[in-house]
Amino acid sequence: MTFYLSGFRSIPKLWKSNPYFELGPATSSASFFFCVIGNQQRWLSVKATTPPNGKALNLLVTKARTHKKGNNNNEQVSSDPHYFAAGAAKKRSHIGANPQDQGHALPVRSSVQLPTKPLNSKEWDKLKEDFKGKASFEDFIISQMTRNCSSVDVAKSLLAWVAAKNNGIVGYNLLVKYLYLCVFHKQTSEVIDVYEIMKAKYKSLESGGYTLLIRGLIHSDRWRESLLLLEDVKKVMVPSKKNYGDCIQGALLHQDVNTAWSLYQELVGHNLVPPLETLKAFFDYGKDINDDHYSDKLLDILLYLRNNQLYPGESFAHSIKMWFESIPGRQWKGQFTTIQKSGQCSGCGRTIESIHLSPEEYEFLKEKIMRDVIDGGDQYKKTTPQELKRFESFVNSCPPFDIVIDGLNVAKMFSKGRESQNLLGVVSQLAQQNLQLLVLGRKHMLRPSSLWRKDEMEQVRKQAHCFFADNISEDDPFLLYATLNSGNHCKFITKDLLRDHKACLPDARTQRLFFKWQQGHQLAIMKGFQKSKLTFQHTLSYDTVVQTTGDSWHIPYDEDLVQRSSCEVPTKWLCLQRKTPGPC
Amino acid sequence: MSVTVRFLRPFARCLVPYTFHRKRSHLYSGVLQRYMSSKVPSLSCHKDSASHPEQLELDAWKATMKSSIQEDGVSEVSDKDDDSLAATRELIEMWRLLGKEVPEHITEEQLKTLMECASKSAKRKYLRYLYGKEKAKKAKQIKKEIKAEAREEAKRARLLETTTEEQQDFMFLRLWDRQINIALGWKGAQAMQFGQPLVFDMAYDDYMKPSELQNTVSQLLESEGWNRRNVDPFHIYFCNLKIDSAYHRELVKRYREKWDKLLLTATEKSPVDLFPKDNIIYLTADSPNVMTTFKHDKIYIIGSFVDKNAQTGTSLAKAKRLNLATECLPLDKYLQWEIGNKNLTLDQMIRILLCLKNTGNWEEALKFVPRRKHTGYLEVSGQSRELVRKLKKTKTLNSFQKGSLNARTWKR
Repeated sequence: MTFYLSGFRSIPKLWKSNPYFELGPATSSASFFFCVIGNQQRWLSVKATTPPNGKALNLLVTKARTHKKGNNNNEQVSSDPHYFAAGAAKKRSHIGANPQDQGHALPVRSSVQLPTKPLNSKEWDKLKEDFKGKASFEDFIISQMTRNCSSVDVAKSLLAWVAAKNNGIVGYNLLVKYLYLCVFHKQTSEVIDVYEIMKAKYKSLESGGYTLLIRGLIHSDRWRESLLLLEDVKKVMVPSKKNYGDCIQGALLHQDVNTAWSLYQELVGHNLVPPLETLKAFFDYGKDINDDHYSDKLLDILLYLRNNQLYPGESFAHSIKMWFESIPGRQWKGQFTTIQKSGQCSGCGRTIESIHLSPEEYEFLKEKIMRDVIDGGDQYKKTTPQELKRFESFVNSCPPFDIVIDGLNVAKMFSKGRESQNLLGVVSQLAQQNLQLLVLGRKHMLRPSSLWRKDEMEQVRKQAHCFFADNISEDDPFLLYATLNSGNHCKFITKDLLRDHKACLPDARTQRLFFKWQQGHQLAIMKGFQKSKLTFQHTLSYDTVVQTTGDSWHIPYDEDLVQRSSCEVPTKWLCLQRKTPGPC
Repeated sequence: MSVTVRFLRPFARCLVPYTFHRKRSHLYSGVLQRYMSSKVPSLSCHKDSASHPEQLELDAWKATMKSSIQEDGVSEVSDKDDDSLAATRELIEMWRLLGKEVPEHITEEQLKTLMECASKSAKRKYLRYLYGKEKAKKAKQIKKEIKAEAREEAKRARLLETTTEEQQDFMFLRLWDRQINIALGWKGAQAMQFGQPLVFDMAYDDYMKPSELQNTVSQLLESEGWNRRNVDPFHIYFCNLKIDSAYHRELVKRYREKWDKLLLTATEKSPVDLFPKDNIIYLTADSPNVMTTFKHDKIYIIGSFVDKNAQTGTSLAKAKRLNLATECLPLDKYLQWEIGNKNLTLDQMIRILLCLKNTGNWEEALKFVPRRKHTGYLEVSGQSRELVRKLKKTKTLNSFQKGSLNARTWKR
């Protein structure tokens, strides 16, 4: 599949928007050969084919826009988002890097011009003669068609031509790709025809074919058969979340709510994460019905989002808002807002849930960090038992710290200046505020060298507690433990996102706890210190998660135009509240 | 319409095992033939193509496709397990039609392994592995046939020519392979008595999956082969090799009856029990210490561990636990490293060590590092090179004497 990347750089967006592309390696090898062998190097005329879907174009445009936006943000550092805000990592990576898009590297080449209208068999024959390549002509041309979303009629004429040559037999791979085109263009009657053919010809299909059929059939009157197809898939493997999502949408389209909910239960039961479109579909459907049972289930979905730290997309957020506002008698009012630094919603002024962990969660996390991150089944991997003992007794002998500093990370943060000087600068600025400091480092920092001066290290040791680990030990786990051990008020300074340590944690729940704790306790230095005062990225005081107080809901959501990396949280919120306290 | 579906489905499912057991490989061709024979154009073309005026006959193919309904007899299948197996088989067959990388034939055993794969991607990977294996096997078979044919041809040609038979004088009978083997055996026996020990630490079987373990054993076999052919072989130790562990079983399986006649020491003991701790150097890529010269009086340990899971620091942790000295190869010093892991395979390691042992020349030794991993040798400045050479000279002289002395003490 990597072949695509080299050859078709400029159109991946086109078919990223295509929901399904499970067409197998035959296509990929075909296209690959074309990139290499196509000696004629004629440009594939994308214009000549049917215009690719508008969605793809929109995507391109929005992509460009976000890009621009990101750059603008760079210039105005003053309005800085917090360290884990959506898009912050991307912005950071742009600083210093050349913001040139490498997306448009290689042009698409093809030796065969895709037809735009149905051809007769003579024309197909002629086109085949032009074709040079190792893959079979039919295979190649139909996969080009699926890629460019040619019209169904053109594909049909190709199949007719193939069938005429082959005694009326069309291969399964051609049929599947034809089906893909039909589904893509929402030609339901064609889908049903192909469905009949497949049923007649093959005892069972494979996952790609089933997926397409399910997706095609849900819009027709025979949508119940897509449930049968789903059963067929289940015989061999767990259906994908998209299979379930399609079936649910089909059921909702045809007002069969019970089926939809039972499918949803099944989907969640398989530990699959339901696609957000599916959840949105539930909300969209909910506007038309007025049923307490149904609304309870919708609230359950919101709780599911909360527990799994999922954030709805922009359009989904609109759906949620519309649904709430459509509930009769309760008078919900929704607005899109942001949260102030103090943790108050700009819309209603309510305080958002605190980022701090509950005592039980805190203890749990502390134990997990000790057991899985530091110890990890083999104490020798990250440290040694002797060192661990030394560290524990050291931590217990000191008073609780206010700030734990990752010495090496801080020292190397500024390219200018000696490392020990950098460290001393940070430490002395913090020490002026009368904070209990702990500096974690490695033993090599004590050995005088051009980067680590002895007198400066002495001063650091005077102003802060220090712990130096062995040179081959890892210092980050100690940092985490020292911070956790000191209590909830303690913060730590490092620029590290600590993703590798998060990955050591055993399950998703613990990882989320860790992330929540990290958001609330990590300080990242933003500016230099020598001339200006030390400034930190402000830490969040509130937790970014779907939450309710009974008569209000606060739901963070992802904007369509912002790319958010997994270690960031959204910044935009949907604030819902009841105007008049209802009888609840 | 749904009636037909309900009727057709179980019907179709029942067919499967029967067809497959009968003739698995010819299923597709069989299917094809059936359709070829049923060329009768069908009547049930309910779509009116009149809707497209001046249109080519676009929908005709559908009719023929639809008319080809299976007409096989029914066989009874009751077992549910069989059912899912058959369904998987069918799925694979359909994937193959789609051009995915799946094997053409699959045995019951492999099918069971496939069903045990935890996730979809694991299944896909396993299928791709089987596909690759099948392809390689087929290619080999074809090559073999071609070779056999060529041999036949040559034989026939020789038969025609053998009219002129003349007596020739030879000094030796043609027994080269055997002679070589015997000579290598002698050398191996000598290495057992006086050779420098080289330890393979086999304590990693818990960290490896079966496939990785198999790779490790292959690498061990190859390393042993390289060592045997060398002018001055190491005395190889397989330490921590538990009898009847997966390692042991695999090694015995691969060496067969040769296992007991190998000129190396396999032991359940740890290297720490066999040698003085100060003389041991554990080689690991994670080590902070860089190996500068090959010391002939030290015992080098190589962890026989293929790590595809990126469990970094496992062997370093092991050495730390036993409190052993560690070293890594000076790859960065001599090579312009490009891609790939700094971990080398076991046979590459032993070839590098053998080369160092015999010549002490790093450039020469690091030729065994795969070329794809680096772009070339770094220029070590002339002065330092001179220094290194000088050092080497004295070192090799010293260590030679030491080494020979040590050999005697090891023998005990």
